[in-house]
Amino acid sequence: MREDVEALFLRELSRLNSHLPKKRVTLREALQNPEVELADGGKHRFRRSELEFLKSLVPEEEWDSLRLPVLIELDPKLGRGAARIRGAAECRVVARILGKEEKPELILYLPEISELRGKLPTLTDYFLTA
Amino acid sequence: MTKAVSGISPTRMELIRLRQRIALAQKGHDLLEEKRDALMMEFLGLVRRIRELSKETFGRLSEAHRKLSYCMAWMGSAETLQATLESRKELKLEISTRFIMGVKVPMVEGVRTERNPVQRGYSLHTSSALLDETSAEFERALAQLCELAELSEAVRRIGLELERTRRRVNALEYILIPQLKSMAAFIAFRLDEMERDNFVRLKRIKAMLERREGGA
Amino acid sequence: MPYKIAVVGELETVMGFGLAGASHLHVHREKTETLRKLKEFLSDPEVGLILLTATVREELAEELEPLHRLEGIIPMVLTIPDHRGYYPAVDELERLVKRTAGVEVILK
Repeated sequence: MREDVEALFLRELSRLNSHLPKKRVTLREALQNPEVELADGGKHRFRRSELEFLKSLVPEEEWDSLRLPVLIELDPKLGRGAARIRGAAECRVVARILGKEEKPELILYLPEISELRGKLPTLTDYFLTA
Repeated sequence: MTKAVSGISPTRMELIRLRQRIALAQKGHDLLEEKRDALMMEFLGLVRRIRELSKETFGRLSEAHRKLSYCMAWMGSAETLQATLESRKELKLEISTRFIMGVKVPMVEGVRTERNPVQRGYSLHTSSALLDETSAEFERALAQLCELAELSEAVRRIGLELERTRRRVNALEYILIPQLKSMAAFIAFRLDEMERDNFVRLKRIKAMLERREGGA
Repeated sequence: MPYKIAVVGELETVMGFGLAGASHLHVHREKTETLRKLKEFLSDPEVGLILLTATVREELAEELEPLHRLEGIIPMVLTIPDHRGYYPAVDELERLVKRTAGVEVILK
């Protein structure tokens, strides 16, 4: 029994982030082709209306630096109910969407994570980090 | 103590390895807890959205049915049925897939609605304003129903993944980690015991040697 | 990928959505016939959405259970109220919420 639990758990741990894309795409690339391939083979499609919404919030100079999907980092070290956003362009636009102060790295709390996910469901995803 | 006694030799090496396994299990547990919490948040968000949307959509649907009844009463059921059969049945949905933390979920985009009478295809001599309105109402309801279908599929699958993740977290917290910890505790205890035994033996040997020396 | 819409239910529902552009229609009269048609729609690669009225769904409840496929997300199946507005008070969603989140969840 103990063997089963541990084996299952180790397998789960190894594929904890396999749902993320092999390589994220820039906003400009996504506007051309709203799709990414995931590490475990699936295809994730971005919703056009969300891309249009994001486009309106991001200055064109940043279209090549902003990578999608925007990763919401869940780190146990941050404590439960908190997440991190990294990346200059990413943080800028997330701060703008949530009405927060712009910082090079953002810490979001539960209601903010909820709001971000509600506004950009196909352009954001979770990343589990230790 | 646990039945995990068999097959584990109480060595220092084994203890170190066990402690590593415990650390890994603990770390994994914390990560899976985060995953579970995030999935729960997504799940509740979807439930909320579905409840709101259902109310609105079903209201729209009953409105559409009301129009249809008028239509059937006004034009006659046979005429309405005729119009249905003649209607060029062309509405197509763009369905693709997207993922929420690894959970595959459908996505519907660009539902084409509000086709004009010419597109709708029923012969103009049977068409009437009421029929037009009825079609339009159903088309509008359909657009929302597509969204509802998307969300319903999503909530079902997220629910399953949530259950799975929760089971893993509990298995780690209540079974694996406690077992590993008790094994580690047992080995530590045995190692201590062996060291004490060793210490006592050395003392005896020392005492024996001293007596011999003293006697010689 | 473009998909078509299927409807299974009473005459009024089928007519309404037929007018709106659903192409695969089936008016429910008899259990086995409807079940067969439903399976047909489920395995038709062109069908992306199946609208099913609550009345039909309840009538076919047991036979539908095993059909709840998991891997393929297409076609999507949605239960809708029939033309009289009938829809169960405790629907699948409520049951799912109770199972998953327990009674502590009260959302308004």
